[in-house]
Amino acid sequence: MDEVKYSLKDYKSDLKPIWCPGCGDYGVLNALMQALVKLQIPPHQMAIVSGIGCSSRLPGYLNTYGFNGIHGRAIPLATGVKLSNPDIKVIAVGGDGDGFSIGAGHIPHAARKNIDMTYIVMNNNIYGLTKGQASPTTPVGEQTKTTFYGNMDEPINPIRMMIAYKASFVARIFSGDPKNAIEVITQAIQHRGFSFVEALSPCPTFRGVEQFKLIREKVRYLPEDYQPTDEVRAFDIANDNDFIRLGVIYRQDRPIYTDIVRKMQQVSEKIGKPEILDLLKLFEP
Amino acid sequence: MASNNIVIGIAGSGGDGVISAGEILVNAASSDGLFVFMLKSFGAQIRGGESSVRVRMSSEPVATQGDKLDILVVFSWKDYLKFQSEMLLEDHVVILSDSEDSFPEENIPISANKLKNWYKVPFNQLATDAAGTSLAKNIAMLGVISELFNLPKSALEKSVKKKFSGKREDIINKNLSALKAGQNYVKKEIEKKDSVLFEYTPGDPRIVMEGNEATAFGALYAGVEFYAGYPITPSTEIMHWLSVYLPRYNGVVIQMEDELASINAVVGASFAGRKAMTATSGPGISLMSEGIGLASMAELPIVVVNVQRGGPSTGIPTKTEQADLMQAIWGSHGDSPRVVIAPSDVEDCFDCTVLAFYIAEKYQLPVIVLSDAFIGQRKESINPNRFRDLKYGFKKINRRITPTEKELEDYHRFKITKNGISPVTWPGMEKGMYQAAGIEHNEKGFPSSDVSVHARMTKKRWEKFREIKREFSFERLYGPDDAELGVIAWGSTKGAVKEAVARANANGIKVQAIIPQILYPFLIQPFHDFLRHKKRVIFVEMAYAGAFRRYLRGFIRFGDFGVETVSYRQTGGAPFTVGQIYDKIVEEYEKKDA
Ligand SMILES: Cc1ncc(C[n+]2csc(CCOP(=O)(O)OP(=O)(O)O)c2C)c(N)n1
Ligand code: SF4
Ligand SMILES: [Mg+2]
Repeated sequence: MDEVKYSLKDYKSDLKPIWCPGCGDYGVLNALMQALVKLQIPPHQMAIVSGIGCSSRLPGYLNTYGFNGIHGRAIPLATGVKLSNPDIKVIAVGGDGDGFSIGAGHIPHAARKNIDMTYIVMNNNIYGLTKGQASPTTPVGEQTKTTFYGNMDEPINPIRMMIAYKASFVARIFSGDPKNAIEVITQAIQHRGFSFVEALSPCPTFRGVEQFKLIREKVRYLPEDYQPTDEVRAFDIANDNDFIRLGVIYRQDRPIYTDIVRKMQQVSEKIGKPEILDLLKLFEP
Repeated sequence: MASNNIVIGIAGSGGDGVISAGEILVNAASSDGLFVFMLKSFGAQIRGGESSVRVRMSSEPVATQGDKLDILVVFSWKDYLKFQSEMLLEDHVVILSDSEDSFPEENIPISANKLKNWYKVPFNQLATDAAGTSLAKNIAMLGVISELFNLPKSALEKSVKKKFSGKREDIINKNLSALKAGQNYVKKEIEKKDSVLFEYTPGDPRIVMEGNEATAFGALYAGVEFYAGYPITPSTEIMHWLSVYLPRYNGVVIQMEDELASINAVVGASFAGRKAMTATSGPGISLMSEGIGLASMAELPIVVVNVQRGGPSTGIPTKTEQADLMQAIWGSHGDSPRVVIAPSDVEDCFDCTVLAFYIAEKYQLPVIVLSDAFIGQRKESINPNRFRDLKYGFKKINRRITPTEKELEDYHRFKITKNGISPVTWPGMEKGMYQAAGIEHNEKGFPSSDVSVHARMTKKRWEKFREIKREFSFERLYGPDDAELGVIAWGSTKGAVKEAVARANANGIKVQAIIPQILYPFLIQPFHDFLRHKKRVIFVEMAYAGAFRRYLRGFIRFGDFGVETVSYRQTGGAPFTVGQIYDKIVEEYEKKDA
């Protein structure tokens, strides 16, 4: 890499995170900042948007353009930003509740349109901010504040869901493995198209310290010979119950939406672009 | 009875070409410089069901569709029955029905005195003979009525040609033959027994627009750059139009998965510095409520058009209503200032949309344009020069203000200022980085749950209202100032109110009407002026619960003015007629001496 213009302090804001000690989100924030240093994206050329949750506080800790929007709507918000200014690097972040429950309806559409953005979900299998209710990724049987007798709902498997939606980049990281996390986030941001990163990000406050240990025991890297372009294998990895695989699980190169929109604009411009008031002709009887 | 004001209704099924006939007629009249008003009405069927159209033309300005028909054309009596309540008939009405219609004559639900002037015409046969296809029967019909009632004939020929332009030469010719055949039929076969005759002097050509087209065109004129939306009747024509024209001007039109996504994409686009809008109807606004509140909190300019109808997403989607007033003004969470403006006719859809962008960009807040199906989907003829000669002082404001170099040295995105407006940056601007937020924040944009910060910032966001109230006034007043009887209405009821007030004053019943364009913030002074001489006012609105009257009573103590208020309202569906409002005016006027 040539000259290092931006260092960590250029990406870091003056705000001190409100997260609990030991929260996995710190690791994700650090990995993201390291990735930005590697990529040397000018902070003013970035927009980091989110919904609400502990994890959705992340944009405020970066000294870039940021938008802490409303619950579940980070994806459409990000879509609006990206389509308005394709030169801006857009990253959406949030939690498992924000993304897979209230905001779940938006994901397939950003994926199929292949909006050029990165979406990082800090999955802690719980609603953290609202103090410990079941989330769409809480395992069956777990006791939470809303599931006193044990969670009854089958959890969502985010990786499998994203591959099914044809997200053009699907990856998993663990906040306790910064090296891999930095590498994967870097690739995700570089990917042209909709890149999804599931960040396993424990919540010691509402899931106990056990959660971190359990994940640490189960995580493994992808096999040496792994090819993320093989959809069938990607599903196998997503379905693996013995190990939780980290790395880029699926990728596919597809045209990105902003390019498609640009082409459409060029075609339409050729039809003619009169002075706006000359369009009054259209209404002549 | 020669008249320069004529109302024609046509009823039939999809295949009868009812709507095209109406459009051709409107175009012909407009190119002869007439004032034209056209209303369509459909049954619930997606395709091929019953449809009707009503065209009013005059050489004087017209503000409504006209209460009763002078001429009724019936392709099928069965279809007419579905529209009977919307198509009231004058006593002198002339009826033309298809002589092949098999509907039993004794079942025709029209009183005998109105059946005096009834011609049965073989429309089908005329078309088949002249054009080789019964498809041209609507054109043959136009030939018949143009001859019988002296409608603009050469303009009609031009409009038929234009309608089929791009089609094969022989198709154009066949339709022209059908038109001629209709005219010849009248000359040869009809002995005119009625007295309805249209008399007019041609003027400069006018253009023809639908309200939703005017809204879309207004948005383009105001410089819209981003549109995200989700289809819903009766608003979708706005998206249709922009999806054709906006991309040519480098803009983006995107169909989102729902209204939640639409509004958030629009907010995102505005955050990115673009002039952004969406359009929907009441049910869509319900889903957008939180996003509108977000724009308010994050102080981002957005324009949201609500073309009102009745009910939830099932509702009564093809009919008009004015029942979303409170939703527009208060429909969100927390204290979330937004401006609400209401167009009152087709031209006004253009003006209000331009105004909406102006206010949104200048004051950095959401602006809701409260249109409805009645104005959104009707056609009116308009003087094209009015667009070239706009009186707007506000055209100068193009976009929200941005910070100076100096301000950027220590940038406070939400800096508290006297008028509540603070300079704004967007992604890509160096040194302007900030956090936009739905979360309460300080002047820098950093989150804060400090009660005093919330109080200060809330006040800042509302401070804009003061300036808006200073900047705008409105002049939509009809009738003499010193009238003791008043009418207060808003939005699409304007037309009927205006004509009723004019008729009343012409008949010696003194009455004045006021129609606000900006509904929120509430501009109180014009109402205080209006009320000075009033003793009684009638509120006219197309909403059962009478929200408008309740809303105004929150601002004006009518009792202090010695003014009694009366509510005149009906649920949506069919728009008010002039006669209804006129009768109400007379009724209330007569109470004055009681
Ligand atoms: C419309 C709406 N509904 C509910 C809430 C309350 N709420 C805030 S955050 C949250 C869940 C957050 O969970 P998650 O997205 O997993 O984030 P985490 O705190 O776990 O990082 C909920 C239900 C809200 N803010 N807005
Ligand atoms: S509650 Fe859980 S997710 Fe939220 S900050 Fe604390 S540890 Fe992190
Ligand atoms: Mg969570």
